[in-house]
Amino acid sequence: MRKPNIMTVIFIVLSLIGLGFSGLSPFFVLNEVIIRFIRDGVLVLALIIPVTAGMGLNFAITVGAIAAQVGFLLVLDWQIGGLTGLLLVTAIGTVLSLAFGALIGVCLNKVRGKEMITTIIIGFLATSIYQFIFMIGFGTFLKPHNLEIMLSRGIGIRNMVDLDSYRNIIDKLWLIHIGQVTIPLFMILIVIIFSLILRYILNTRIGMQFKAVGESKRRTEILGLDSDRIRIKAMIFSTLLACFGQIIFLQNIGMLNVYTAHLNSDIFSCAALLAGGATIKKASIKNAFLGIFLFHTLFIVSPQAGQNIFANVALGEYFRSFVAYGTIAFALVLNIRETELNPAALTAKTGRK
Amino acid sequence: MPQIKLSKINKNFGNIQVLKDVELELEPGEIHGLVGANGSGKSTLLNILFGNPVIRNTGSYSGSILISGQPVQLRSASEAVRYGIGMIHQEFALISGLTIAENIKLGREKARGITEKLLGYDLSYVDRESNIQDAKAAMEKLGMEIDPRILVLDLSISMKQFTEIAREIDKTDLKLLLLDEPTAVLNKEDSRMLMDVLRTLAQKGISMLFVSHRLEEIMEICDRVTVLRDGAVISHYRSHEFEGIQIAQDMLGKEIIQAMQKKSAPLREPIMEFKNFGAAMPGERLDDLNIEIYKGEILGITALSGHGKLAIGNGVMGIYDTWGSVKRKGTPLENSNIREMISRGICFISEDRRGKGLLLKHSILENIVFTAMMTKDGFLHPFPLSDLRWPDRNLSSVFAAECIRELSIKCESAQQKVEELSGGNQQKVCIARALALNPEILFISEPTRGIDLGAKEIVLNILVSLNKKKGTTIVIASSELDELQRICDRIVVLYEGRVSAVLSPEDDERKFALALSGESVDQIA
Amino acid sequence: MKKFIRPPQIIILVFLAVLTITAIYLHIPLNAMFGDSLVRLVMNGVLVLSLLPMLNAGIGLNFGLPVGVVAGLLGMCLAVNYHQTGWFGLAAAMLFSAMIAVVFGYLYALLLNKVKGREEIAATFVGFSFVSLMCLFWSVAPFNNPAMLWPIGGKGMRLTVGLKDYFGKVLNNTWQFNILGIKISLGLLLFFFLLCFLVYLIYKTKIGRAMIAVGENEDFARLSGINVNRVRTLSVIFSTVLGALGICVYAQSYGFLELYTAPLMMAFPAASAILIGGSTGGKTTIGQVVLGGYLYQAIYVISGPVANQLLMPEFAEIIRMLATNLIILYALLYGEGLRKNA
Repeated sequence: MRKPNIMTVIFIVLSLIGLGFSGLSPFFVLNEVIIRFIRDGVLVLALIIPVTAGMGLNFAITVGAIAAQVGFLLVLDWQIGGLTGLLLVTAIGTVLSLAFGALIGVCLNKVRGKEMITTIIIGFLATSIYQFIFMIGFGTFLKPHNLEIMLSRGIGIRNMVDLDSYRNIIDKLWLIHIGQVTIPLFMILIVIIFSLILRYILNTRIGMQFKAVGESKRRTEILGLDSDRIRIKAMIFSTLLACFGQIIFLQNIGMLNVYTAHLNSDIFSCAALLAGGATIKKASIKNAFLGIFLFHTLFIVSPQAGQNIFANVALGEYFRSFVAYGTIAFALVLNIRETELNPAALTAKTGRK
Repeated sequence: MPQIKLSKINKNFGNIQVLKDVELELEPGEIHGLVGANGSGKSTLLNILFGNPVIRNTGSYSGSILISGQPVQLRSASEAVRYGIGMIHQEFALISGLTIAENIKLGREKARGITEKLLGYDLSYVDRESNIQDAKAAMEKLGMEIDPRILVLDLSISMKQFTEIAREIDKTDLKLLLLDEPTAVLNKEDSRMLMDVLRTLAQKGISMLFVSHRLEEIMEICDRVTVLRDGAVISHYRSHEFEGIQIAQDMLGKEIIQAMQKKSAPLREPIMEFKNFGAAMPGERLDDLNIEIYKGEILGITALSGHGKLAIGNGVMGIYDTWGSVKRKGTPLENSNIREMISRGICFISEDRRGKGLLLKHSILENIVFTAMMTKDGFLHPFPLSDLRWPDRNLSSVFAAECIRELSIKCESAQQKVEELSGGNQQKVCIARALALNPEILFISEPTRGIDLGAKEIVLNILVSLNKKKGTTIVIASSELDELQRICDRIVVLYEGRVSAVLSPEDDERKFALALSGESVDQIA
Repeated sequence: MKKFIRPPQIIILVFLAVLTITAIYLHIPLNAMFGDSLVRLVMNGVLVLSLLPMLNAGIGLNFGLPVGVVAGLLGMCLAVNYHQTGWFGLAAAMLFSAMIAVVFGYLYALLLNKVKGREEIAATFVGFSFVSLMCLFWSVAPFNNPAMLWPIGGKGMRLTVGLKDYFGKVLNNTWQFNILGIKISLGLLLFFFLLCFLVYLIYKTKIGRAMIAVGENEDFARLSGINVNRVRTLSVIFSTVLGALGICVYAQSYGFLELYTAPLMMAFPAASAILIGGSTGGKTTIGQVVLGGYLYQAIYVISGPVANQLLMPEFAEIIRMLATNLIILYALLYGEGLRKNA
């Protein structure tokens, strides 16, 4: 094994310290982490293809998450429950993600080298549009069918809607109890299946092309491959995976915070991936899974640890948002220099080795 | 029927014609050499044949290309690949994070049939093992025994070159192989091996267009040679007609050159000395330079592109890593400090005029005084804090007006933005900016590149009169040999980053030709 | 000011036109709004101005504005902690802020010089993580003026600290007068324009020219003997100090210090404003700062009452965010932005 990734080591140390001070039972923490693994697993996996294709962290996975939420809201509005509803949600989400992913890809082809900041802004913009449609559009220019999910004033969907009719359709399948630990085998299996699908994709012809274009766009082009198309495909896959990830996340929670549920999906997923030892140039499924465990362990224990050490719960909460943002900032500062810029820039900027 | 036939190929970049009615045909299995000096159009021709997007983005080409008698339009690299054209790139087109096998098969991977049927081309699962087998076989054809699972970044340079070649010969439908300086990075032995491989390939009916500056290789391996000069085909030779000196002369042309200035008896007083000097300029590496620059001379430095002539000025200014020593009148210079260089009277005008030599969005006046303002606090009002001094409009406009007149910069006023000027006038602004520093030694790279004929004359005149009137020592790195011959006192010819010969401008043309291709000039008395 | 009308301006003018027509339709008095818009221009204008030095030095939009904002918050907390009031209080707050901002700016510049070509993304996360780090600080900050601390327990800063008894509205109330029903704060406006003029002057000096040259062409600047990293560092410090002063002006006008996560998203409206003014992510003029700042705030001022009249209070915020993000995205896609190759 190569020398351990510094980020991973920091997370292991912090998690252990936090676990010690929090006084939480390791079984409780493990249970919680397993739940997070199911909820966030696919979202984190959604980041891997763009990293491989050299586009950095895709903060626009929020757009995929929004696609999933649109699916849920529409299906709720049409009052279609149960498995049929869930399948319809998936269908709507898929169609939207394909379109949005392609659109994001086209945008990113215009901003080579500034992909990450662009994906952040695209995420913000998508959020504004989404809010506009569901907070203002519904009841004004869009006709609601299900008044239960509407605000009492008749315009806009409520802040919180219940997804009860979709909950526990697949969640509670194959639950296994080992001591105090509950293992939802079926859901874990689903996340693992997604990871296998991702692994498959990375080993197909298009997967090879992602790697090639990630390494050098220019060389890929002179080899006769269309790098712009490859990058668009990368964004489509990523957005699609993010959409599936959010569907799993929401049905597991059973509630939809209409206007906020998707908001931090990008930051937390990116931080988790980086915690697992990924960089903005290289990420693997192993990084994703390890990262989810480390990041969420720290996330679960830090409020309680803050309470116990400083008698202040808020400290722990601030600490964890610092960890999330700080992890990404650290990775950016650490890795940007190693990133291959456009060769012209390379000779100009690093001419002095 | 020829494998490929080009006729009446014309190509313009802007209003400069870089290819003029080029005719070329290759028989199946023929190795055809293509030689020419810088700017002769070799690389443009290769770019056209390989469908490089550059060509399309600059307005495509005209003329016809027939492959096995079929007319084709080459619009993109993928189209060229489809027509069976492969290319060995001078700087490798290899993805270093992938293995040898993955590189060789990139875009053409063998996949498991069932997944291909179910999920389509892109999403079919790559069959690693059979790709490795293919790659191994391709490498073996080149006489290389190597595990194709090794990452390309771990390979030696020559092994990378063979991987690049293996990728091309693995293509079953390969008809024409373009080789751009394939031996430049190989040692003698590996070059030998490559030559043998190429001959075997030729026997299988693959035609090759072989571009190299190593004339002896061309003569050894090629069946025919075409010489390009200034975008036009100058001559064709068959292998029995080959003669190195003749080919070299065709490359350079024989122009009657008149000296622009009367050569005065050279003063042999060194003003600057280079000892084992080298600079790591990417693509223009310079090494082992040992030379003295004499006070008051105009020293020319020439070489084919990529052979290190540009690294001298850039290296002196410390833009790239350097080694060895530079002395100025006996005292060593710390050449990473541009401020110090300027304060010691050394000035550099970059070959990359628009990229490094000008503030395009600023006025002529601002460009002219900028460097003097920054390094010598010139053209500024006095104020105790140097950083907060503000420009003295009077001083600078007087100086700018003088420069505009003396150097005949064509402009509306000194306030005009530099980006609106023609290339020649931009160059004059660069020179004016150097004049504001009052240099003792001026390094200038490619002073006449990309400017029209009339302006070229003016720029050369300016340099000569600067040298005569102010006694400024000038070091010109240029690929325009004839211009150097007109104004220089001595000309240094570099080959592969090292000095190949130091010649007088009056020396025999053939000496220059040989020196440029790295051969001994002693062949000519 | 050639070719001012490009998509960002079209977006904003359309918004403005729609809002104004709606406001007239709803009989909302416009003249009061004009006064408000001037106040809001200055209130936010210094923050917008603070983006200019980094844009001019080619470092791009300063999405790390929270670094400067936090420096300003710290400076004001110090002034409040020592019970400084009135003009003197504001001056002390600004002085403390500027001093802290110099230190923060220097460290921030060290980071940004490591990530040349991708400053914007790095700055965004440096800003985010700095704000959350400061949240930890605020909850244990060793200040002792009870007006700033939680009333219960007496530990940790409040979410918002009232400035009324210290230096709230000091600038706003200077030389205030009414004309045609429009309330005008001459002191506030003068302060802002004076600051703008000062920045304008700095760009006329040798160092200012060097900053602009580095922004336009780093290689050229280096070949002209300029120490590029030093100039970049100075530009970042300059931006950070202006950001710190900006939040001082903002807070005194608003009357409250907003701590904890409040600075998190401050960079985006400011960035959008400067782009509306006609900046394309490269060299920017003071005129663009003022114009963009004003147009952006005009939207702000009109959209609030309109949304309330329409009984959709969220409408204003959503519309603003929509415009903000649309404009920044446009600038990223089509602007000159950071150095071309980066």
